[in-house]
Formats: sequence, C-alpha cells, structure tokens
Amino acid sequence: MNNFADSASSFLHDRPDAAARQLAWAAFEAAGLPTTDDEVWRYAPLKELELGRFDVAVQPSNRPDSPFAAQLCERAGLVVRVVDGFCTSTGAPTDGVEVDIDESTGSLAGSTLLERYESDTFAILNTALAPATTLIRIADGVNVDKPIVVLNLSNSTSSFSRTQIQLGRGSSATVVEYFEGGADALVVPLSEYLIGDNAALQLITYQRLDQSAWHVARTTGFLRRDARLRQAVIGIGAHYNRSRNDAEMLDAGAENELRTTFLGSGRQVHDFRTHQLHIAPRTRSTLLSKGAVADESRSVYTGLIEIEKGAKRTDARQTNHNLLLSPAAHADSVPNLDIRENDVMCAHASSVGPLDELQRWYLESRGVSREDAERLMIQGFFYEMLANLPTELAELVERDVTSVLAAVNVVAP
Amino acid sequence: MKSTLKIEGLRVEVAGKEVLKGFDLAMRSGEVHVIMGPNGSGKSTLAHALAGHPGYKVLDGSVTIDGVELLGLSPTERARHGLLLAMQQPLEVPGVRPIDLLVAAGVDPTNLRQRMRDEAERVELRPDVLERFVNVDLSGGERKRAEMVQFGILRPKFAILDEIDSGLDVDALGAVARRLAESTTEWDCGILAITHFRRLLQELTPTMIHVMSEGRVVATGGPELSEVLERDGYEPFRPVPS
Repeated sequence: MNNFADSASSFLHDRPDAAARQLAWAAFEAAGLPTTDDEVWRYAPLKELELGRFDVAVQPSNRPDSPFAAQLCERAGLVVRVVDGFCTSTGAPTDGVEVDIDESTGSLAGSTLLERYESDTFAILNTALAPATTLIRIADGVNVDKPIVVLNLSNSTSSFSRTQIQLGRGSSATVVEYFEGGADALVVPLSEYLIGDNAALQLITYQRLDQSAWHVARTTGFLRRDARLRQAVIGIGAHYNRSRNDAEMLDAGAENELRTTFLGSGRQVHDFRTHQLHIAPRTRSTLLSKGAVADESRSVYTGLIEIEKGAKRTDARQTNHNLLLSPAAHADSVPNLDIRENDVMCAHASSVGPLDELQRWYLESRGVSREDAERLMIQGFFYEMLANLPTELAELVERDVTSVLAAVNVVAP
Repeated sequence: MKSTLKIEGLRVEVAGKEVLKGFDLAMRSGEVHVIMGPNGSGKSTLAHALAGHPGYKVLDGSVTIDGVELLGLSPTERARHGLLLAMQQPLEVPGVRPIDLLVAAGVDPTNLRQRMRDEAERVELRPDVLERFVNVDLSGGERKRAEMVQFGILRPKFAILDEIDSGLDVDALGAVARRLAESTTEWDCGILAITHFRRLLQELTPTMIHVMSEGRVVATGGPELSEVLERDGYEPFRPVPS
C-alpha cells in the first residue's frame, strides 16, 4: 500500500490533533483491511480492493457542480459544501444554525471516535484521515424550515468526510446529505446525528457516486428523550456500496424510522447493514428496506434489532423486500433479533422475489404496458422513500432516480 | 359509430373449479347493462376474466369488441381496445401515483392534474387523495371513487364495474351513478355493472338486466326485472337441475 501509506503520512504530518490521528492510523495499520472471513464483511468483494492505488488528498480539488447538485442547492435554505472531505463552504449565515469546522476527533456519543468505532477499520481510517468534522448545530427550539443540503463531492482518488449534526431540544430540521463523484475512488464518509430531547431530524442520504467507486459509509443516530429521527438512505452508485445505518434510542420515547433502498445494476454489490439499539423504555423503531437488483448485481441486507434489559414497551419492526430483475442477480436478507427484555413488541419480515403479480396486473388492466408497469413499481420503491420530503425536493430526486431507472434492464425471471 | 361488446360461451376456471359455464351477453355503446345474481353465481369471475386476471383460466368462449377477439390479448392490450374494469377491491400499488399510472397508460398529460381534480369533484372525492399512492391507505369508499377518477380520464368504450356500490354511502352512490350515467352520453360509454344490490338501479337506469346463476345468464329483461327480483328474490331464477 505504498501510495496510500505515503500520501497518508504526508497528510497526517502537521494536522491538528495529530496525536489522536496517529493513534488511529496505528490502529489501522495494526488491524489491516478486513477480509471476507470476518462475518461483518463476508459479502464485500474485498479481494478487489487495492488500497495502494488510492491517494490521500491533502487539499480539496476544484470542479464545477453537476447540474443535479446545482438544482439541489437552489432548493436549499443552507448549502454546506464538502470537497474531498474538506469543508470548503459553511454556507450563508442562518438564524439558529451554526456550521463549524471542527478539527477534533471526538464522537457525538461522548467518547473519541477511535473508542467508538474501534472494531470498524474503515471508520478508523476516517478518524485518521478526515481533514476535519463538519459540525452543524441547530439551537434549542429552532425549526429550520428550508432544507439544509450537505454537498459531498469526491474528485480525488480517496476522500474521508465526517459530518456531525446536532439538534438542540425541541428543534427540527430537514437535512440532505448528497454524494457524487468518486470515479475510481475510495469514499469513506462517517456521519453522526445527536438529536436532543423532543427534537426531530428528517434526513435523506442520497448516494449517486460513479459506478466505479468504493463507498463505505456509516451513519449513527443518537436519540434522546422523545427525539425523532426519520432517515431515508438511497444508494444508486458505486461498485461496492456499503451503507451501515445505526440508531441508538438512549432515552424514553425516542423514535427511529429508517428507510433504505438501492438499485443494483451491472456487477454492483450493495451491502446494507442496520443496527437499532433500544436502551430506554417506550422507544420505537420502524425499518423498511427495499431494493432491486438487475443484471449481475448482488445485494445483502443485514439488520439487527437489539433490545436491552429495561427497555420495556419497546416497539421494533423490520421489513425487507428485495426484488430480482434478472435471473443472474442475487439478493440475501439476514434479519437478526437480540432481545433481553420480555415486555416488548418486535416483528420482522423479509422476502426475495419478482414483482408482485397482482399489482402489475392492476396497472396493466389500465392500459399500462408490462414493461412500464414494472418500471413504475420499481420507481415506487424510491418514491416511497421520498414520501415525507418537501415536494419540490422530492420531485427533483424522483426525476433523477427515474432517469437512472430508464437505463436499467428488467428481465422477467 | 356504435361499438359492440360480445361475450359468447365464456367458460372460466378458478382454482381448478369451473365457475363460468357458458356465459353470453351482447351490448352496444351507450347502453347500461346490469348483472345481478346471488353470491357465488360467478359475477366477479366474469369481471376478472374479462380483464385478464392471472388467477383465472379461460377454458372456452369468445369476447370481442367490434369483432376483435380479446381473450388472446394481454391485459394491457384489452385495456387499449377500450375495456376497463373498475374493481370491487381496487389493489394498493405502493409508490405509484395515480397521475403517473395514467400517463403510463397513454393519457395526454396536458392539464391532467386539473382534469383529475374535476373528475374527483364529480364523485365527491377529496383532491388530496389524488396525490397519494394508488389506493394506499384509502377507505373502501375512497378507493371506489378513485377508480371512477381513472374511469373518467381513461374514457373506455366499455366499463365493467364490479360491485361499485359496495362500501359507498347513499350520497356517494348517487354521485358515482350520476357520473356513470353521464358517461353514456359524454363519450357513448357502455356500462356493464355487476351488483347484488338493487339500490344501484334506483340511481342508474339500466337498458337491460341479466340475472346470473351458477355461471350463466338465466334471465334477461328490462328494468321491470328488478321488481321481480325485489319481490321474489333469486329463487325463481335457479336453473333446473339437469
């Protein structure tokens, strides 16, 4: 890993908080990349990952926004720009919202990032190599009415971005984290969301990286009393799309609604992982994961619901539907439950198969061709994810998704 | 020019059992035909088979519009030849909005949203329902009315309405029946309404009534037939055991 190690070393030299970064780098070097023997990575095509061919960016590159990114910005109340992991613009001043570039390596969970993610090699790499944390703070009681857009652009061969969003008590906001670029690149974003008492965060993670990218992302929500996190994760790009989305219901009444969806084509691998941790009583989590695989693409969904002793009257539900659009595509679904409390409501369901025949017939009986009916239904997966978004934002993302879907082959099995 | 829908000797099997046993009916544009019959007489099977539901197997017979045989055609092609089934229990299609369905069905998108709102108003359906996914989280009555919006936009030559009256209160039934009656003059639509309630007939004057029993038509007559049904029920129409 010559290139990578050399460029990492020049990057680490002189960075603020160098000691913590060096510690993380040493931890990475000691652990090395995971292998598919490791259960958590068993579906990843790690043999194809040659770290040595990536460079660590020492400064952000410069490239104009894509038309889509530009349109997204037009609909935003605040645009935060992150290029190759470097926050290059904190946006226009907005009442009740503070955007900072934070050079420290602390987790919103209270520990250091290294302690928090010690078993996750890629998160450790992020700890060492993310230039800084982009920290967005919403003050107590503030309702941010227009969406905050975090534009995450990757032009260099590797980028490590870190975003932390903190919502004060009783505040609310809609945030879009958008990823593009990443041709032949390694993109390793890490996001944390700390949602205060009674606060509500609506979050959309939209990943539209180049089909050659390695994308290894991790997000974690920390929810305080009666907090609500409604998160939609849409994965379209990347050669390997790893998306781990966790939520910790730390105090009573916290509620997490997570929807994830992906579209696999070519030889893509989509690897979704979720972990809903219920620590406090009366907490709720609802998870809906839907995805479609075409061509020779593969997907795996692994979801864990963990309910700790004392988290009485927890309500946790997990649903996963995978759609096969080609005989050579493959989807796996691995739901897991770990429950240490009796007084809970817990359910999970999963399915892998072709499109619902009767729904398709309904559309056909109105004069829609079979091909269009199938396309409408697959689009529907994505549209469902966007159902709660402000209309003009939803329409923009829908148009984008629709243009991608138009190019996908659907072969009846 | 008047169109003709002709169903001849239609035999249909569901789950290995023959339910339609030689059904015949002919009707023309602008006419209102009502099929009545007790539960289990094969009414819904007729509706589903005409629309090409994958669970229904046609054993024999013919269904034509203006001489074009529909039975060998896909559900899409049947619809494009002018046949529309408004379902008894319209299916939920998550993620698909009514407007997207209609555009995919080939409807002219010009001013479509407004045309849908106008249709919704005619059947007293709240316009915000049109922005939701097709039939998802709608009440039974809302679904029926949402089907009528599609009907008004798609303007089929012949519409089959399977128990369109169930789940509707008296006012809504009146509005739906009025909408159907107007279509017979607006674009000369032929209406084939399936019901086992007489109350639809109070709102929608039929050209003909057909009484169905055990998979075939056992009596055909004018509106006066409904009075016989009202008085004597279906018992006199039972086929003689052979």
